[in-house]
Amino acid sequence: MKVSDMMLTMLHTITSDKSVAHASERMSEQRVSSLLVMDHGEVIGMLTPRDIFASHPNRIVADAMSPGPICISSDQTVWDAGRLMEEHGVEQALIMAEDELAGWITRENIMIKLAEFRDPLTGLFRAPYIQTIGERLLYEKKPFHLLFIDLNNFGQINKLYGHPFGDDVIREYSSLLATMMDERYDHVSRYAGDEFVVISTADDDRILSYIDQMETPIGIRHMQVSAAVGHVNGYLDPNFFTYSFRELIEKASLLSTSTKQRIAGTVL
Amino acid sequence: MNDKNVYSRKATLSLKISEFEVPPMQDLLIVGKKAPIGPEAVRRMAEALSPEQFTLIRIDHPKIEAVLLRNSLLQMLDEKLLMGIIMEEAERMISDSMVLRSELKIAVTVQREVELS
Repeated sequence: MKVSDMMLTMLHTITSDKSVAHASERMSEQRVSSLLVMDHGEVIGMLTPRDIFASHPNRIVADAMSPGPICISSDQTVWDAGRLMEEHGVEQALIMAEDELAGWITRENIMIKLAEFRDPLTGLFRAPYIQTIGERLLYEKKPFHLLFIDLNNFGQINKLYGHPFGDDVIREYSSLLATMMDERYDHVSRYAGDEFVVISTADDDRILSYIDQMETPIGIRHMQVSAAVGHVNGYLDPNFFTYSFRELIEKASLLSTSTKQRIAGTVL
Repeated sequence: MNDKNVYSRKATLSLKISEFEVPPMQDLLIVGKKAPIGPEAVRRMAEALSPEQFTLIRIDHPKIEAVLLRNSLLQMLDEKLLMGIIMEEAERMISDSMVLRSELKIAVTVQREVELS
């Protein structure tokens, strides 16, 4: 999901020579949580309630405002926007479309939206997240590794031990995946029931290590749980960028099924 | 006439007229962190009244936010030396909600000896 799909287009502005008292009244009248400070058509800062509380009401806005908010391109994803705002420690950001101010966004709005994309059972992002990341990398012609991870015999686990236990298995395996990932290179999501997808730009050695760890049976309560991993290597496949993300998922999924068939019966 | 029926409203005006000093802030202003006038307002005021004659120096201090200084003072003395003296004196009396103004005159005394031929 792009930030342009959820940005606020109503801009409330004030010039830097107005008093803080005036700005406070305006915010109250217009029922807004912040004002964009603009002089001669240029954004020079943002005035928030925190700035108002910290300043004498007689001061001019220029002496009370926070520095110019960061700018985010309108085609960035909400995940990128959230990460950028967290890195800069800012509560608001401006959305620019081809160097023109198109709107603005608050970190609170981003966090609410991101929460909608989280899987409540595991805390991992759901399929739309990994789809957005994958499609963006394909669009930018940046190769990556795609891992499709399917838990072995999960249907049997549910049948034999009940769905609550199955949920425990999903939760603990997700936690294992999350701790394995390095946020510099890796993105992980719960794709469907007992299936997970990882997109990674890490080197081959690290990917092989991931696959090894993912396929090695681990003890969850009294069970040994393992997974079959389908791996599409975008660094080796010359036709990688001719595929859509959906086709890459299909390839990885089928590879995972092949792996599953190969190791069928060896683990539960 | 009965005094009870007399009604009068009077106003007394008193004017004290003197010349407006330009600029009104003399040689320097010291702006407290919570002062009613902030550094940018002070800078804009100085620029409007005396263009290009003052410099605003922002500082990291628990009570003082900035000092506005007449440029000619900075030409006569090193900024670090001048600010050191100003801060040493100002921080003894300023609170974070005050703006102090001050005159600052520099008199240079020179004594030279020369060889007589």
